[in-house]
Amino acid sequence: MSDQTPVAGLRVLLVEDEVVIAMTAEDMLEEIGCRVSAQASTLSEAMEQADNADFDLALLDINLHGVMSIPVAHKLRDAGKPFIFTTGYGAIGLDDAFGDIAVVTKPYTMRTLSSAISEAVRGIARG
Amino acid sequence: MPEFRALLSNESEMAQRIRAHDWAATPLRAPQAWPQSLRSALSICLNSSFPTAIYWGPELRLLYNDAWAFIPGPRHPDALGKRADEVWPDIWHVIEPQFQSVFATGRGFATRQEMLPMQRHGMPEETYWDYSFTPIAGEGGEVAGIFNQGQDITARVLIERRSRLMLAFSDQLRTLDTPGEVLASGLELAGSHLGVERLFYGNAPPESEAIRIEACWSDKALAPIAGCIPFSTFGEDAQEALRRGESFAVADVESDDRIRTASVRDHLAEMETRALLLAPVTRNGTCVAALVAQQHTPRLWTSHDHYLLRSIAGRLWHELSRARSNMALRESERRHRLIFEQARDIIFTADLDQRISACNPAAADAIGLPANQIIGRSIGEFIPAEEFHKTTAMLQQKLSEGGMTRYEVSVCTTGGRVRQWDINSALTIDLDGNPIGLHAVARDVTEQRAFDEQQQLLINELNHRVKNTLALVQGLALQSFKQGRTIKEGQEVFQARLGMLAAGHDLLTKEKWEGATVAALVADATAAYADPPGRVLAHGDAVVLTPQAAISLGMALHELGTNAAKYGALSRPEGRVTINWALGQNRSFSFWWQEAGGPAVQPPTRQGFGLRMIERALANDLNGDVSIDFPNDGLVCRITAALPEPS
Repeated sequence: MSDQTPVAGLRVLLVEDEVVIAMTAEDMLEEIGCRVSAQASTLSEAMEQADNADFDLALLDINLHGVMSIPVAHKLRDAGKPFIFTTGYGAIGLDDAFGDIAVVTKPYTMRTLSSAISEAVRGIARG
Repeated sequence: MPEFRALLSNESEMAQRIRAHDWAATPLRAPQAWPQSLRSALSICLNSSFPTAIYWGPELRLLYNDAWAFIPGPRHPDALGKRADEVWPDIWHVIEPQFQSVFATGRGFATRQEMLPMQRHGMPEETYWDYSFTPIAGEGGEVAGIFNQGQDITARVLIERRSRLMLAFSDQLRTLDTPGEVLASGLELAGSHLGVERLFYGNAPPESEAIRIEACWSDKALAPIAGCIPFSTFGEDAQEALRRGESFAVADVESDDRIRTASVRDHLAEMETRALLLAPVTRNGTCVAALVAQQHTPRLWTSHDHYLLRSIAGRLWHELSRARSNMALRESERRHRLIFEQARDIIFTADLDQRISACNPAAADAIGLPANQIIGRSIGEFIPAEEFHKTTAMLQQKLSEGGMTRYEVSVCTTGGRVRQWDINSALTIDLDGNPIGLHAVARDVTEQRAFDEQQQLLINELNHRVKNTLALVQGLALQSFKQGRTIKEGQEVFQARLGMLAAGHDLLTKEKWEGATVAALVADATAAYADPPGRVLAHGDAVVLTPQAAISLGMALHELGTNAAKYGALSRPEGRVTINWALGQNRSFSFWWQEAGGPAVQPPTRQGFGLRMIERALANDLNGDVSIDFPNDGLVCRITAALPEPS
């Protein structure tokens, strides 16, 4: 993991509709040194948080109780914020426009979460 | 007499016979005394190569030349010098008036194609003649004799008649459609023409050496017969003839020495047969069928009869084959037409320009137009342009590579509905092997495709839910095995939470995922503490929650119950939990969980996963506020939420 961009200290916007999973993600993020600075479980909450919250990176569940979170992804991209998708579906339903964005499928491990975050942050840093 | 010697010096057979004949015993007396008129006539007669005879004197004594000699059959040579009525008793009724007329009028008589029913061989036969009677004037100018020249034209007449019959036969049979009609009509025509009493036709199956009668015609004299008749019924000679493919005739069963054995005679007697004629039909040298003519009286079968029966038998075979194959063709056509008409599959044909040439009712139904408004139109009129390019490319592929093509095409039906057809098509080939069109069988797969799509969506959704559930389990596991719990404690907590998750799903499944009532959720979560009664007091309005809210509340109730049993009111027998809920105006929902009678409550230093989850999940899924307080006398959980309007 030495070649990975360090993720410690990153503030994360966590968009997840399932409370238990959100809490688990929260714990995992804390374990790798990140901090959940904002949370959302619906599309409207997520859109609002994307605009107003203070965060370095977003974890974006693709499907929020059956509603696709793609508008949030567009907003994040426009704002130049790094983000990664989380999903139970695999990559199904994603626009080609987000082909470069990492998709972490549930259930995820701390290792996959950590490296996906690292990649996303580095991609933005380079771009 | 020099002329007479010269006359009789003629070396012909009849000159010799005349020379040797005992004329003195006849009214003509010795030739030396014959009048000049007779001598002249006889000279012409004997020197002619045309059949010529002289009937001389009032008794019509007969003299004739070699060419005439075969005319009376076996009556030659005895006919020489005999009276005409002695020679011709069988036809006397015909020729006597003709002789009389010549004598009476002194004028010659000629006739063509005169039928003379001769019995030269003991049985009547039809004979046909061209002949003339010419008066020979005697010394006194009176008619002294009759000069007869004639020709047997029976063969020619019969050949003509045979040709006419066969022509009529063919013309009549050709128009008939079924084997039954061909047999009935053919046998009737042939039987009445031949003047036989019974005529039957049968096929001879290979190796069977028997005639299986297919049809029998008979006049009143003989009854019709049916069944299967072995060749041997007619005797060994007949059997042998049929094997060789030759016709076989018996003029009279009783006098024919080829009909020897008693059994054959018995068989024929049973069939009341005195005369018979068998005519086989042969193919590749073997007898495949036979036509049999029978009479209950003797009959001399002529070569004409033989020839005619064989011709008719052959013609019947031919016409039967034609009628049978036509019938098979019609039957096949009918069967295919039925399949075409009744098929639920869409069937149509088109020419090489993709112009529709036929379509079945299923196709007409699918398009929504009557067949006559579809036939003649291009396939391109029923499908979008890009699809027409596809069918054109498929046609080209079939033309260059042959075989079948299978593809799906969008078809515009009436009313603008677009349907998806799965089409199998192949070229129609003519007898020379040239492609002349295409035929296609199609099936409307629109519903199938929609179903496939729906199925895929469901599979994706299921996949999502399973993955999500696994993530949930993962979260429960991670949360259960931390916070300084022992492995055993962790396992208990984890199992309890898994059970709760499963119960939540059960509940939703029971309610068909349409939600659950709060009362049911409460009863479910507190069932474990219902004994002794009164420990849990639950009461509230009838409220139905959405599936998501129901799962959250169910899990929350479970966590509260577990917590109470471990640390709170339910850890002691005297402890009580009171649960109340109500639905107020604007669907404002309020819920209380209040514990009493438990050990003194210590607010937790760090809130555990369970209670954290309750707060957040309920806040999230019920879109409300949750508070959990820890007053000294017991834990209190309050939930207030604005429920969505029921859908």
